[in-house]
Amino acid sequence: MKYPGKFTRRVLAVAITLVLPMTASADADYDALKKQVEQLQRQLQQVQEALKRQEAKVNEVKENSVTRVEAKALENEVNAASEWKDPNTLIHMAGYADVGYSSGSNQDGSFNVGSFSPIFHFQYKDKVMLESELEFEVGEDGETEVGMEYMTIDWFVNDYMAIVGGKFLSPVGQFRQNLHPSWINKLPSAPPGFGHDGAAPVSDAGLQVRGGFPIGNMRSNYAVFVSNGPELITGWEDGEFELDGIKAEGTGTDRDGEKVWGGRFAILPMNGLEVGMSVATGKATVTGIEDDTGTAPGLMGEQARDYDVFGFDAIWQYKSFALRGEYVKSKVGGAITGATASDGGEWKTWYAQASYLFPTTKFEGVIRYANFDTPHASQDQKQWALGLNYLFASNIIGKIAFESNEGQTGSSTDDDRWFIQMAYGF
Amino acid sequence: MKTSLFIKIGLSTAILTLSGLLLPLSGSAGSVGDQPAVGDYSRGAKVWSNNCGRCHNIRDARELRDDQWFSTAFHMRIRGGLTGQETRDTIAFLTASNKPARKSIITVKAPISSGTGKSDGQVTYNKTCIACHGGNGKGTLPGAPDFTNPKGALSKSDAVLIKHITEGFQSPGSPMAMPAKGGNTDLTVEDMRAVLAYLRKQFGK
Repeated sequence: MKYPGKFTRRVLAVAITLVLPMTASADADYDALKKQVEQLQRQLQQVQEALKRQEAKVNEVKENSVTRVEAKALENEVNAASEWKDPNTLIHMAGYADVGYSSGSNQDGSFNVGSFSPIFHFQYKDKVMLESELEFEVGEDGETEVGMEYMTIDWFVNDYMAIVGGKFLSPVGQFRQNLHPSWINKLPSAPPGFGHDGAAPVSDAGLQVRGGFPIGNMRSNYAVFVSNGPELITGWEDGEFELDGIKAEGTGTDRDGEKVWGGRFAILPMNGLEVGMSVATGKATVTGIEDDTGTAPGLMGEQARDYDVFGFDAIWQYKSFALRGEYVKSKVGGAITGATASDGGEWKTWYAQASYLFPTTKFEGVIRYANFDTPHASQDQKQWALGLNYLFASNIIGKIAFESNEGQTGSSTDDDRWFIQMAYGF
Repeated sequence: MKTSLFIKIGLSTAILTLSGLLLPLSGSAGSVGDQPAVGDYSRGAKVWSNNCGRCHNIRDARELRDDQWFSTAFHMRIRGGLTGQETRDTIAFLTASNKPARKSIITVKAPISSGTGKSDGQVTYNKTCIACHGGNGKGTLPGAPDFTNPKGALSKSDAVLIKHITEGFQSPGSPMAMPAKGGNTDLTVEDMRAVLAYLRKQFGK
């Protein structure tokens, strides 16, 4: 065996000397590289986790968001749902109803349905409104009676004037046109003479101009009308017809062809106070008669009688206290021709009423005095009425009241009465 | 007969006069031919408080929707002899006052003894509150509290009163509630703090 030479050994020694450090250097690179890989793996893992979180967020957003198509569909749905807000014609129902119990000193107590009076409004923009109030009542025989309290078409000409045509509540005074609904009237009954066929006109068919306007710092309102006017009632007494009363309900036909003109003007000099004056004038005629046998003789040449009405009304309200009063006089002239030729007569009535809502309670006390004076003793009536109300809400009122009446002995006008009533305005 | 003739002539003259004087105003009144222009909330509150209670109990604004108040207001224009502008103002007030109240999120830390300077409480009171609470703070409507009563509404804490103003409040025995922010949806937090400071200064004992 031939051993390497000296030169060869030296070369080998140099080579080993060179390779050994290189091997050590490779180990260090490997470790560094390994660390880098591990770091990269951690970063990759972090990126993947971040990506997952981002994907979850995106999915969440997708679930909670809508597409344009969906948004458009939603917009259409919203528009359709809100169509009622902006139509040219509005339809609205209001009204009132009441039920109750009444008992008289000469009359058995009985429950009564009172009336159900829906009011319909059909309104075209702010130009025209159709208003109608129907009145449903259950009569003593159980039959349902239906009446048209009023039906008008109102044209709002400008800010200060409306023209009203149809059958309207009489603008004479305040009670009939504004205060008679049971949720407004603070007592269960109308004052004597302000009900049907009393001294105050109830309704009429014709044409009105009405509205309001300021006078300096004061306000005012007015109504001027021309109408068919009332018809007259006669009764058979001592073998001849006598003028018995005035039909307060307006008629759909002017059978005597005579018109009635009238109006009311009111001024409001300060907040809470309104003072009004009313007049009406024209002709009224007896258009139907019935003698004591129930037969109705034909009418020939009935004379149209003078018909004049004067009214005064006032309301003053201060916080919980309200004071109101009204006077109406209807005068009918005599007739010298016709089957019902007879003297004329005057029907006068007035009332004064005070009410007070006790502070921090829902109880309201009411007191009213009324005096109805007619040409017939059987119709005359003086009345004190005392009531206590409970306001379940502004428009839902429970009432209990007592009427002390003074009239012809033995007649219904002399009968004291108790009332319980529940009224609902809607 | 002479009296009747006189009345007829008088009424005819009145109609002709009114027709002649008022018809030309239809253009300037701006109410004919379209839905009413938006009325003024503040004036509407006064019309509402000064007129409705004269005949009937005042109805709570929250009883009816906007469209129902619209028809009701026109019905009352005929009944109560309101002008067109008064009708529009009343509609503006009622349709602003019938919205559901939002819960108060205002925190009251320090006593409210004076305004912040950013809002005038007296101006806000005269615009928003005076119709029902009155210039003397004693209330103009049934159920409205008397601010001058030492044991009355102002005896409550600032936090409670701010909550009542923000959310609306029905006093015990009152037939109706004060609407949220008095019905004035534009009322800011600063306005409410300022108006409360004004109430305490003006009416507080």
